[in-house]
Amino acid sequence: MSKEIFQGPLERVSDCCWRIPKTYKQGMRVDGLIYADEVLIEAIKRDQAPEQVANVAFLPGIQYASLAMPDIHWGYGFCIGGVCATDPDEGGVISPGGVGYDINCGVRLVRSNLFYRDVQPRLRQLVEELFRHIPTGVGKSGRYHFDKKELDRLMAEGPRALLDRDLATPRDLEYTEANGKLEGADPDAVSDQAKLRGESQCGTLGSGNHFLEVQVVDHIFDEQAARVMGLEKDMVCVMIHSGSRGLGYQVCDDALAMLRKAPEKYGISLPDRQLACAPVNSPEGQKYIAAMRAAANFAWCNRQLLMQQTREVFENVFGRPWQQLQMNLVYDVCHNIAKFEEHTFNGKTRKVWVHRKGATRAFPPNHPEIPQMYRQIGQPVLIPGDMGRASWVLVGQEGSMKQTFGTTCHGAGRAMSRTAAVKDVGKRRIDKELEARGVIARAQSRRGLAEEQPDAYKNVDEVVEVVHKANLSRKVARMRPIGVIKG
Amino acid sequence: MLMYETFDHTADLGLRIKADDLPSLFADAAHALFDVIVDDLSLVQPQQVVDVNLQSDELVYLLFDWLNHLLFLFDAKGWLFSRFDVQVNESACRLQGKAWGERLDPSRHVLAHEVKAITYHGLRIEQKEGGWLAEVIVDI
Repeated sequence: MSKEIFQGPLERVSDCCWRIPKTYKQGMRVDGLIYADEVLIEAIKRDQAPEQVANVAFLPGIQYASLAMPDIHWGYGFCIGGVCATDPDEGGVISPGGVGYDINCGVRLVRSNLFYRDVQPRLRQLVEELFRHIPTGVGKSGRYHFDKKELDRLMAEGPRALLDRDLATPRDLEYTEANGKLEGADPDAVSDQAKLRGESQCGTLGSGNHFLEVQVVDHIFDEQAARVMGLEKDMVCVMIHSGSRGLGYQVCDDALAMLRKAPEKYGISLPDRQLACAPVNSPEGQKYIAAMRAAANFAWCNRQLLMQQTREVFENVFGRPWQQLQMNLVYDVCHNIAKFEEHTFNGKTRKVWVHRKGATRAFPPNHPEIPQMYRQIGQPVLIPGDMGRASWVLVGQEGSMKQTFGTTCHGAGRAMSRTAAVKDVGKRRIDKELEARGVIARAQSRRGLAEEQPDAYKNVDEVVEVVHKANLSRKVARMRPIGVIKG
Repeated sequence: MLMYETFDHTADLGLRIKADDLPSLFADAAHALFDVIVDDLSLVQPQQVVDVNLQSDELVYLLFDWLNHLLFLFDAKGWLFSRFDVQVNESACRLQGKAWGERLDPSRHVLAHEVKAITYHGLRIEQKEGGWLAEVIVDI
């Protein structure tokens, strides 16, 4: 298998949307719809992501369309940036590949009452302390240890289980998607191998594209929404991008092994092994759902502990308790998840399994699942970009409920493969280049930095422009990185 | 000289392994996996041995299970391996393998990539004229 240019049909539906008609391949049950402008669609056509959008349309019970956000790129089975909703009452399936290995990979944003001028003189010290204090990279164990019973509690309850250790506050839970707990999680559905991989990894950042960034509010586009979130121009925030670590990877892996024979058993014809799935209402489907929810709750604990360690570092560097620094959680979103949600489409309201693989929930104002404080403005959406340019804070809009099952993009999306990025860097020093742009970056390996260099990603501003224009989510603030730690 | 090459996959990494026979194919695939994980695999001493016995339904799954098991030993127990000896019974789809290595020592070993998983996407194994070919994409 290698990289090929997509040769299939792409019909323009609007300024920001392209259709792959279901007549493209026999077996497609619905159309594919890709959100992109004319510039991004050219980049998207350069690999097999559109083919994967078409393949997802084969899944039994899929509703409305196989959807893709402007940051899509070639994944395995599902493209990254893909969304699909299935109806269990119509034989709908659940697909671990539609969630991904890193179950509940996501992003959280913490604000502070510090401004760039306060932090800049101590920036290097701050980044060094963060890098020393927070476990990053491959094979690093966390500072927190949980015995088997405690680990089960983390999976069953999410960060709520951290309240009595003073590692979380009720306010933190309130500002986490789903309050940090998916109901129906069953730790007994998670294998011992997964637990073994996860037991020492809660509170560790990981590697690859995961990061922890010190950011500055660079530009505000929506004053009112920014005020409600407590964001002001030049304010210092921290963005954390990580997921369920080895525990989640193993849950996905176990499910894919369990489902090897499911397509034959349930008479499902699939164009790619990695799309393996089972009917929601089957023993296999139910087992995966219970384990996936447990891994999702674990991921929220991981990001909670990463935030808690960040607060401790700020306390040390700035000599005040984090509460005095007003380091409140703005919001936490997941972008690799499947959730059972109510949606209205084709004139009917139904509950469907929305798979978001590299896509973020973006509920509009007044949605009951948004914290009371944000009801007027819509759900905050956090879009991490690359480490040299920007990340974004958006809010969900009405258009998402009408077009994309309440979903928007999740990041910049890669433009270069890892090998191409390393080749592109050659002998250049990415950390020095970033420093010249005012960004202090620390990583475990120079190769890691090369693979994640800014040019390896599409420009996140262009991606955000599309979801803004398509009314999936609205721009609130652009965030500029000043300090980065990576695995 | 390793008998493998990487191929581009936008977010992840593809491994293409060519070998004269099946045991070498399996051994080289494992070598390729740890070459991705560890910055300099020559620093991993083959001090201790771990036995791996596996059976699968299809040859392609046997390769998958072999790599997946080694990845588990790394991620859950900190094993790094640099030498492999594999016997494959093709008709019974069974494998007896030995992996030599040592536990991760951060003072000596630099890790290059976190391989989250071995994927089924584009996974293949086939007999070519005069040898075997396998392709595996790992999630990073």
